[in-house]
Amino acid sequence: MNDTSTTDRPGPSPAGPPREQGATSPENRRGVLDVLARFQGVLVPIVALLVAFAIGAALIRLQGVNPAFAYTTLFRDALLTESGLLRTLQKATPLILSGLAVVIGLRVGLFNIGAQGQLLWGAIGAAYVGVHLAGAPAVVILPAALLAGIACGAVWAGIAGLLKAYRGVHEVISTIMLNSVAAGVIDWLVSFPLKEPGQSIPRSSAIDPAAELSNLGFVPVGFVVALALAGLIAWILRRTTAGFRFDTVGANRDAAHYAGIRIPLVVTAAMCASGALAGLGGAIETLGVVGRYETGSSAGLGFDGITIALLARANPLATIPAALLVGVLRSGAAGLQFETGIQPEVVDVLLAVTLLLVSIPVLARVLFGRRARDGVSLTSGWGS
Amino acid sequence: MKLARTTAALSGVVLAATLAACGGSTGNPNAGGGGGATGGAAPAGDCSSAEVFCVGMVTDMGSVDDKSFNQSAWEGIEAAAKQSGAQTKYIQTTDTKDYASNLKQFTDKKYDVIVTVGYVMAEATTTAATANPQTKFIGVDQAQAKVTDNVAGLVFPEDQAGYSAGYLAGLMTKTNKVAQVLGMQIPPVEKYAKGFEAGAKAANSTSNVSIVYHPAGDNAFSDPVWGANAAKQQLAQGADVVFGAGGKTGNGALGEVAKAKGAGTSTYCIGVDTDQWLTVPEAHPCLVTSATKLISKGTSELIMQAKDGKMKGGDFTGDVGLAPFHDFDAKLPPDVKTKVGAVVKGLSDGSIKTGVTLG
Repeated sequence: MNDTSTTDRPGPSPAGPPREQGATSPENRRGVLDVLARFQGVLVPIVALLVAFAIGAALIRLQGVNPAFAYTTLFRDALLTESGLLRTLQKATPLILSGLAVVIGLRVGLFNIGAQGQLLWGAIGAAYVGVHLAGAPAVVILPAALLAGIACGAVWAGIAGLLKAYRGVHEVISTIMLNSVAAGVIDWLVSFPLKEPGQSIPRSSAIDPAAELSNLGFVPVGFVVALALAGLIAWILRRTTAGFRFDTVGANRDAAHYAGIRIPLVVTAAMCASGALAGLGGAIETLGVVGRYETGSSAGLGFDGITIALLARANPLATIPAALLVGVLRSGAAGLQFETGIQPEVVDVLLAVTLLLVSIPVLARVLFGRRARDGVSLTSGWGS
Repeated sequence: MKLARTTAALSGVVLAATLAACGGSTGNPNAGGGGGATGGAAPAGDCSSAEVFCVGMVTDMGSVDDKSFNQSAWEGIEAAAKQSGAQTKYIQTTDTKDYASNLKQFTDKKYDVIVTVGYVMAEATTTAATANPQTKFIGVDQAQAKVTDNVAGLVFPEDQAGYSAGYLAGLMTKTNKVAQVLGMQIPPVEKYAKGFEAGAKAANSTSNVSIVYHPAGDNAFSDPVWGANAAKQQLAQGADVVFGAGGKTGNGALGEVAKAKGAGTSTYCIGVDTDQWLTVPEAHPCLVTSATKLISKGTSELIMQAKDGKMKGGDFTGDVGLAPFHDFDAKLPPDVKTKVGAVVKGLSDGSIKTGVTLG
């Protein structure tokens, strides 16, 4: 009895000790692989990135440009100039937040495709407060605008959460449809009631300067907020009861139910938290970068959150490097084109290849053989 | 599994070898941003020197081969470069928040002329122009409400182009219903739309003109699926001439009409901005003509003015017209062609007014 349970236990596996005794080289190599396999969560994305850059290098080479020069230009433009660095961090900020939004959903077994709609609501909510509370001191208007963005995002996601919790509507379907509804309604808002007077492009008036989120040198305040939230969410998921409940529901809904966790409540709360993060991302775009709500300025940021969450393998802290990577590539693309003529789409190729290699389990299998853990189990929500 | 790993390792080695084989050349920091499209431009020089004339362009969310504004403007730049030996380069915008930083790439390198494309870039252009008074800016489709000395806004009387197209549509319709499938509701598009309506009514006072704008702004000019659906609805409601004006959205409408029953015999479509016979081949079955703005011509004229130091701030009105009828030249009744020709002429010499005002 005791014996069987030890052999079943993962970790220092029963196959381990004999291997350590052996001094022959193939067994040593296997030992190294064992050690490496323990860090595969980190190694797989890195190898994926290297492969992507190698493929990108071939594409760049085909266009007659030295890949080393191209990559140097890209990174120099994105990281080594003050304006480039600011732009990189500004681009990374909403990606961290929308990435976190998707991560929270994934941990509960929900695939929140609706970060885009929630982010747009956050952006317009913050713009509304930033315009209509004009004249209020910064200590009032700034938090109010941020909270408005958070609330708008949370409410919008909450609709999908309630539908899922109490009516069993699949969140992928509801959030996708709510994206379209959000885009339509917000576009109407910004074309008519909230439109800047005398302006022909659909956009809101500029927010009050007191509501602007400033930059500390080359670091946008919003970026600091996003970093802090990534840390906070990692802590909540790992160390608090709420986080435990989230993960439990995500891992096994039936077991969670049996353990007395109120699943509808957790599902709704997770969706609201997810939407709140996406909404904050939108609010920071409005208050820190654009200065108003402008149609098209936040296009795709919510969908990028899905990319980030998958790259980060649903780990909140890993959204930071993932978002920074995307930010660097996007921000360096213009300089790359200016210097070398390489089209900015090459960046999309790099990201797509990386994401593909990270999200399908093939790379881990190739690298680690049967020691590979399966790819992230993304959602448990598909069948239910 | 072992096999898989070996294969992976092998392909890695092959890839590395390929790269090494192609390597060795140095990166050329002055390689043309036009991705080789710069043709026989002079060897790269320093744009800050007086002898080297540099023209840069920042696209409006799209590539220079978009078969639309970006492409026309770029062709204008290329034409001017051929005449003046200018050095040219462009940056493709992928995020509307990057307009300013993309412009900065050019101003940092002291480009002489910077062309920006599209109405939504107007503000970023003016801001950059104020910060860089030495640089000349050409804003395609950017009406200048306030004159900035070093910004010329290349604008077009779209209402006139729309009017001619509408007049043709009014003569062609048998059902007395013509339709417009449009992109974002911004002044240039509205001017087309109102001109088209006025033209259709002038040709045929009983005609019914329906106008549909794309409802969501994000992708108003890049939503061919919506455009196709909107065109389908209009056809179902009896429209027999469809004016598709709105980038790829409009192209979607043209493509849908081309697939309809009676395309080219009882149902027609009209394109916009450029001669879409050349750019949207799938619309050939129905495409009678296109209401065009001569963006390339206007852009290169302005660049040459800038080179000679004669460019003035404020609006510069470019030419509009109707594209050739191509295959429909033989199919259109002669009296229709004469009447439309007279209208086009009347508009350009001012004897016909479209009566379109925005507001």
